[in-house]
Amino acid sequence: MKVIEAEKLCKNFQVKHKEKGMRGSIKSIFHPLTEEICAVDRVSFGVEEGEILAFIGPNGAGKSTTIKMLTGILYPDSGHVEVLGIDPVRRRRQLAYQIGTVFGQKEQLWTHLTPYDNFRFFGAIYDLDNDASEARIAELTEIFALGEFINTPVRNLSLGQRIRCEIVASLIHRPKVLFLDEPTIGLDPVVKENIRILIKQMNKELHTTIFLTSHDIGDIEKLCKRIVIVNAGQIVLDDSMEHLKYHYLNKKIVEIKLQEEASLPPIEGITVLKKKGGNIKFEVDTAVIKINDVLRSIDAERIEDINISNISLENIIMEIYKTEGRENGL
Amino acid sequence: MRKYVVIYQSVLMENLQYTANIAMGFISYLILIFVFIHLWEYMYAAPGDLIAGYTKAQMIWYVMITEMIWFGARSSTIREQVSADIRGGNIAYLVNKPYRYPLYILAKYTGEWNIQLPMYAGLTAVIGITMVGEIPDFHWITLVAAVPCIVLGMTIHAVFKLCIGMLSFWIEDANPFQWLYDKLILVVGTIFPVEIFPAALQPVLKLTPIYTVCYGPAKLIVDFSAGKYLEILLAQMLYLAFGSVILFWIYEKGGRKLYVNGG
Amino acid sequence: MLTAVKNQMRVCALAVKYNIMREMLNKVTFLTNILFMMFNNATFIVQWVILLRLREDVGGYTMRDVMLLWGLAASSFGLSRLLFSRVFSLPELIINGKLDAYLVQPKNVLLSVMTSATSASAIGDLAYGLLLVCIFCFSVKRLLLFLLFTVTGALIMTAFALLMGSLTFWFVRAEMFASHMVSSTISFATYPDGIFKGAARFLLYHLIPVGMAIYHPVHIMIAFDGRKLLAVLGYLVLLSAAAVFVFYRGLRRYSSSSLMQSGRV
Repeated sequence: MKVIEAEKLCKNFQVKHKEKGMRGSIKSIFHPLTEEICAVDRVSFGVEEGEILAFIGPNGAGKSTTIKMLTGILYPDSGHVEVLGIDPVRRRRQLAYQIGTVFGQKEQLWTHLTPYDNFRFFGAIYDLDNDASEARIAELTEIFALGEFINTPVRNLSLGQRIRCEIVASLIHRPKVLFLDEPTIGLDPVVKENIRILIKQMNKELHTTIFLTSHDIGDIEKLCKRIVIVNAGQIVLDDSMEHLKYHYLNKKIVEIKLQEEASLPPIEGITVLKKKGGNIKFEVDTAVIKINDVLRSIDAERIEDINISNISLENIIMEIYKTEGRENGL
Repeated sequence: MRKYVVIYQSVLMENLQYTANIAMGFISYLILIFVFIHLWEYMYAAPGDLIAGYTKAQMIWYVMITEMIWFGARSSTIREQVSADIRGGNIAYLVNKPYRYPLYILAKYTGEWNIQLPMYAGLTAVIGITMVGEIPDFHWITLVAAVPCIVLGMTIHAVFKLCIGMLSFWIEDANPFQWLYDKLILVVGTIFPVEIFPAALQPVLKLTPIYTVCYGPAKLIVDFSAGKYLEILLAQMLYLAFGSVILFWIYEKGGRKLYVNGG
Repeated sequence: MLTAVKNQMRVCALAVKYNIMREMLNKVTFLTNILFMMFNNATFIVQWVILLRLREDVGGYTMRDVMLLWGLAASSFGLSRLLFSRVFSLPELIINGKLDAYLVQPKNVLLSVMTSATSASAIGDLAYGLLLVCIFCFSVKRLLLFLLFTVTGALIMTAFALLMGSLTFWFVRAEMFASHMVSSTISFATYPDGIFKGAARFLLYHLIPVGMAIYHPVHIMIAFDGRKLLAVLGYLVLLSAAAVFVFYRGLRRYSSSSLMQSGRV
């Protein structure tokens, strides 16, 4: 069953312009200039129940705008959205009972209150009675290991503890879908890992569908089975993680150090990336030529050192950002 | 000195963009003046009356000018930024910059009021002439003479506000003191001329910033005399010198405290 | 339906309680804020002492009447800011896209926004008003009327601020306009209506809400008049309805807006 369905979503924004200098300042008083930009351009995708989807893209690609359209904060200019079979534009409040949102950069908690008081407040917002609130708080405290600081005011918590509380606050009402907008921003590696494990666990135990945006490749690599990349408002890739890796993994990077300066024999499937004296770095397309064939063509006697590696996911994604989605001249 | 001019210019440029916002402030000013015109119309029962030596037209013009100065000097830079910089810890980065922080704030504030005040002055002239009538015995030369007094008054005002803002080095919230100072200027200084208060109070009031910030310039425009002019200019010079010494003294003291506490 | 209202009220009450708790976090600041606001208001007594030295009455108001006027203005505005402080900074929320957080909650957006902040100095205003009435013109009946009109006055001012603030949904510039309109209302509220004549008087009783929020109630407290009471209540209902209507029209615009707002992409 599809939990989220978006079809040809579009959203345009108008941006103000000012020419430079004093003249520009005076001019803009009388003739304010605006320019229209396409923040989200015919975006279509679907998310299955129980899936963890990574929705990524460079800054300003339209990620947050898309999330806002999915949660009913912004109305699309055109196109169609349904979340859990509900149209967020027309029945935002009804949808609100079924989804949770965590915006890593904006906090929803009252910082002077303890997490416990905060959770009670959110319980009240989602119409839980006292007993139901208590039970749910106990359950989540257990899963997210909040016991130690459940009665410490939020402002005295570390960033990692705080984000855990943010996530719990948005889970009080057992949402079926959770939107996480950069949940690990600003956290140290250990805490990040911690949060990821919790998210994964939550997905498994509570069957929550998770829609995640992040700039952190680790988040995406460790959490998501599927990845959607947007750039300049358009989807440039919608693929399973495995497929993405496989597709790019048939490229290997080989770095060798030779005793003296030499050049590689011209073989098809090899692209030299960098060459300095005896140090050569090249890319091998294993679909064209096997890696052992490549190695055989080099005189083993002369090799001092060798290093073979995969292209990192980070590089793959950067490559996609650079090459695709820029055709619109943006 | 050149860097302060550059700061001044960029603030001026920035504020030119916000002239429409500044003009929005006209609403509050107009309504206040509207109230005062009605109030004094009521208070002056007969047309020829004098209250505290002021005719009705002089009285209303006096209030309009003091309010014009008050509105023209409104600036979050001197009201909030200093406290915010100090309390938020921003000051630690600013003291290391190659300029003197108080002068930087003053340059910024000057850029602000240099746009605001002329706008309010234009408005004041228009409503004054249309709704109150010309000031009795008014000469253009008095207006020109009053300009240095206004400039000095505006600067003195900022120096005092900055001194109060810098109290934030020692106390958590300097706002109550800002309030006190504002109240002094607003309630005692702008609504009435000093002469309306009981004779015993008048010498005391002359010692407060009211005399140099709002009373002085307004009095000179509505009722000019050479003696008064010299007296007010002299008082302003003294106030400015005195205020600046205090300002830099507080700043040095506070800055040192910053280094001791490590920011 | 009834449980929905009950749940909503529960959330609002919790929000107000938590707001006040936040203000009380630093007890010294909390108390100084309250006391300074009272002191701040009290400075204006100087103005009236001086004016009433020049003439016996100002616009038909003696010292007692002026204090009643001042007291009601302070209390109404204080109550409004105590409960619904955010209404006065609504334009800022709209411009910076900060309504988003309330839109993902399943509760009434307007009420959630309104009750999301308070200010300690508002307590000072409220207390100052009550103090003036008790000192200058105490009677049980007057105190009860005063409490009633504090509530109606607070609601009228809140509705007016909401109406003005909601204009920001259409015009960004309305931010300044709204704050000036609200502060002007307060300027008018602290002067006797007797000094205004003709068109000005008409404006104050119709366009600017000060006549219905403050002047009529003061007259009623001096000499009871049922027709004026009805006028005040009717005005309250009409203005509130208009303000809520405009807010929701604006909210729809906010969601479908193509205005690029900081933090909204």
